[in-house]
Amino acid sequence: MEASKTLTIEKEQRHPMDELLRMDRIPHIWCPGCGIGAAVSAFAAALEKLEFDLDKVCVVSGIGCTGRVAGYIKLDSFHTTHGRAIPFATGIKLGNPDLKVVVFSGDGDLVSIGGNHFIHAARRNIDMVVICVNNFIYAMTGGQVAPTTPIPAYTTTSPFGNFEPPSNIPRLAEAAGAVYVARWTALHLRRLTESIVEAFQRPGFSVVEVISPCSMYYSRINKLGEGIDMLRFYHDNAIIRHGEPTENLDIDYQKQIIIGRFVDRERPTFMDSYRKWLSGAESISKEKVDEKN
Amino acid sequence: MKAEEKNTELVVSAFHDALERTPIEKTRVCMVSDIPFPPRLIRPLGVDFFHTTRGRAIPFATGMKLGNPKLKVVVFIGDLVTLGGNHFVHAGRRNMDILIICVNDSIYTRIAGEELPVKLERIRFSSYGSFEESFNIPHLANSCGAVYIARWTALHKEELSGSISYALQKNGFSLIDVLSQKSDILEFYHTNSEVREEEDTNNVAITEDKKIIVGKFIDRQRPTFIDSYNKQLSRVMGDKFVKIEV
Amino acid sequence: MKANPEDVFTGVYYIDGDVACAYGAIAAGCKFLAGYPITPSTEAAEAFVRRAPEVGALFIQMEDELGSIAAVLGAAWAGKKAMTITSGPGFSLMMENIGLGAALEIPFVIINIQRGGPSTGVPTRTGQADIMQSRWGSHGDYEVIALSPDSPQESFEFMIKAFNLAERYRCPVMLMSDECVGHMTEKVVIPPASEIEIEPRRFYKGPKEDYIPYKRESDLVSPIVKAGDGYNLYIIGLTHDERGYPISDEEALKKDLDKISTNRYLVDKIRKNRDDIIEVVEDQIDGAEVVVVSYGITSRVALKAIEQARSDGIKVGSLRLITVWPFPEKRIEEIAARVKGFVVPEINYGQVAFEVDRCSHGEANVILVPHGGASVHDPKDILGAIHRVASEKKRYENVIEYTTGLEMSVFGKRLAEIARK
Repeated sequence: MEASKTLTIEKEQRHPMDELLRMDRIPHIWCPGCGIGAAVSAFAAALEKLEFDLDKVCVVSGIGCTGRVAGYIKLDSFHTTHGRAIPFATGIKLGNPDLKVVVFSGDGDLVSIGGNHFIHAARRNIDMVVICVNNFIYAMTGGQVAPTTPIPAYTTTSPFGNFEPPSNIPRLAEAAGAVYVARWTALHLRRLTESIVEAFQRPGFSVVEVISPCSMYYSRINKLGEGIDMLRFYHDNAIIRHGEPTENLDIDYQKQIIIGRFVDRERPTFMDSYRKWLSGAESISKEKVDEKN
Repeated sequence: MKAEEKNTELVVSAFHDALERTPIEKTRVCMVSDIPFPPRLIRPLGVDFFHTTRGRAIPFATGMKLGNPKLKVVVFIGDLVTLGGNHFVHAGRRNMDILIICVNDSIYTRIAGEELPVKLERIRFSSYGSFEESFNIPHLANSCGAVYIARWTALHKEELSGSISYALQKNGFSLIDVLSQKSDILEFYHTNSEVREEEDTNNVAITEDKKIIVGKFIDRQRPTFIDSYNKQLSRVMGDKFVKIEV
Repeated sequence: MKANPEDVFTGVYYIDGDVACAYGAIAAGCKFLAGYPITPSTEAAEAFVRRAPEVGALFIQMEDELGSIAAVLGAAWAGKKAMTITSGPGFSLMMENIGLGAALEIPFVIINIQRGGPSTGVPTRTGQADIMQSRWGSHGDYEVIALSPDSPQESFEFMIKAFNLAERYRCPVMLMSDECVGHMTEKVVIPPASEIEIEPRRFYKGPKEDYIPYKRESDLVSPIVKAGDGYNLYIIGLTHDERGYPISDEEALKKDLDKISTNRYLVDKIRKNRDDIIEVVEDQIDGAEVVVVSYGITSRVALKAIEQARSDGIKVGSLRLITVWPFPEKRIEEIAARVKGFVVPEINYGQVAFEVDRCSHGEANVILVPHGGASVHDPKDILGAIHRVASEKKRYENVIEYTTGLEMSVFGKRLAEIARK
């Protein structure tokens, strides 16, 4: 009798996400108030809804705070070099097109050093989901300015305030050719989960941007409070506008943030185009062989 | 010019004409390129020429401009978006005051329903044709914030010269996409291109089903990197800050 | 000429090696830094950017290391003393353009705050495993100069040395610091500007029409000009002749030495001037039985071992490399003829040790005291190695590796297990 009681208690203490996390590596390294954990939870919830064969899902991360995600998720995880998560993921996808590939990385990793790979993968419409956690700063290395840092935020390498216009990730993704582009915040978890589900369901290059607090650097250096204060800010200042033209999605410092689903279109994926070309090439070479005979 | 001469040389020649007609000190103009142009093409221009590694002409030009802000730096880039894509996007975002002339000799095999008379030996690697879509470069530049975007073909030498001359006097990140394939296809450009000034960059992708659209698409003002730097630091440091003179 | 007093933050400071590098660069007259954040070098860029506006310097955080090094080359041509700051992974990314800088003979400085490697490695801990890469990293023939500081004070002083050498020899100069020195906070004394000698850029002073870009002076270096001065420069990365024009295939085929000799000069201008460039610190080499060759933070750890060995009665000399490249080949050769052997402790699995071995020509034993990185040596291991060399009768042909305490405790058992299976 005693034995079964203990068993029941143990079961109740297990967390729904335990299956998907590498529990031997928990506690994780993220700071209190960081939004990355929330993004990971939304991702786990999305995977549950999609009911994929988890053996066939690969997570690829780069370097940075968000880059640590691959290390905590119990799928085939790859923690690669800085900025090269997307080409690495491209290789996985082309090596075995049956695998589902998700790139989970930060704004600096994906849009700064990885920018070239980002736009080319979008152009080619490689079938992958990119979850870009945007905390407006290079947090892992100590709080340097990022290409997404708004004007005139303070960071360690913009000690007089940032003066460079920030990148607008949804606009860049759309101009480069992405087929699904959405933006949510670490607060809007339910909608983020739905978006990740949709992103997986769309064939082609999908980008989901997650605006996240950085309590240790961005909000601390700029005296914006802690993680919870940033979430309150998102609550009061984030406006959902589906289909908004991406040129209106610039994020100004401590102003309104437009979130929602902005791009949802169809384009032939890389593998579609490749297969079509291959059949054409095969028939040409077959002709050449026939000619010779 | 002999028919066999590469059309990339027509671009340099248009640059030469632009330099002659623009009221700008030639000593101020620096040419940075990842194309190893031969001395005989460059020396007559009378400007400083720097060759860089492939795709890195834009950050090199950034360093040169920031090293001496009085220089007018013109980038002749062959590899704008392959190796150089990232640098292009970020220099545009910062509105670095450099003029980019993209010597675009990408191989297009079909345009406007017609086969290009490009000799197959030249594209040995894809004698079955390519299947990847290429970038809509003016649209990408627009989304990055370029202040002047134009496209011409090597045929439109006069208009190209005019564009270069105008852009040399404009401050900010400017891009002129020049289609100049390495073959004798000026005739082809003549029949298959269409001038449409101020066309929405969304529509100017080069695709199989329509003519090549050329013209000046964007012409606007934005504070340059150095302008923004001066403004921000003056605001924070007051009189102690010495502005960077351009 | 003396340093500009506005650039020198004279005073006594308590700062770390990274910050000292930044102050040293500013004191040397560096006016341009293009970088990208990478642990453990970010503090240097942050220190630079805070002081940059007051000295008229400019900092730009580029989108990646490839952009950073390209921007540095551009700024150098615009006439500025330029540098970049990075660590292992960024250093690897920069290699192609370091080669370009070497080929075009551009003066610039790269600071590499070495960390654990390879690949992402251990970003927050020390290493000394990029030494060979600093010399041979890029493709083709060229020579560089590399310096290795052992303290924040030296980080400050060697930055000035680095810029001076870069200007004098028109080559890439690398400051091979490491995370331990970079993050170590110590007293740094910054002297008044009148006590700091800096080398101005070797600008060409003759008539414009007579300017030949790569016409060399007696020390094989050519005077430089800058963009925008009306010299009608033609600068190209292809192998070029004196005028800077690329040599044609025919000329290369004919082995026209006059034309293809530019590569020769890239290498010779350092090799032939090595006596002026090489700097080492020697201690009690005369009469020594064992000489410890070390550099960077390891030389400080080795001091303890040397002290102990001397009190144990062994005659130990020390050769500390200030310049790691060019390597003091002649000096090692001279010493090898007179000693039993060398002990080379380094935080890697053997890089400089092989150079020492090569230059000994079999006259002396060379024991490597390796270390996998992430911390510094235990002086006991270096001491053990010194004892071994002093007592060793056998002459070994190759470098022998000393089994350190760490290796024994961690790998020794495991390797023995694997061997038994």
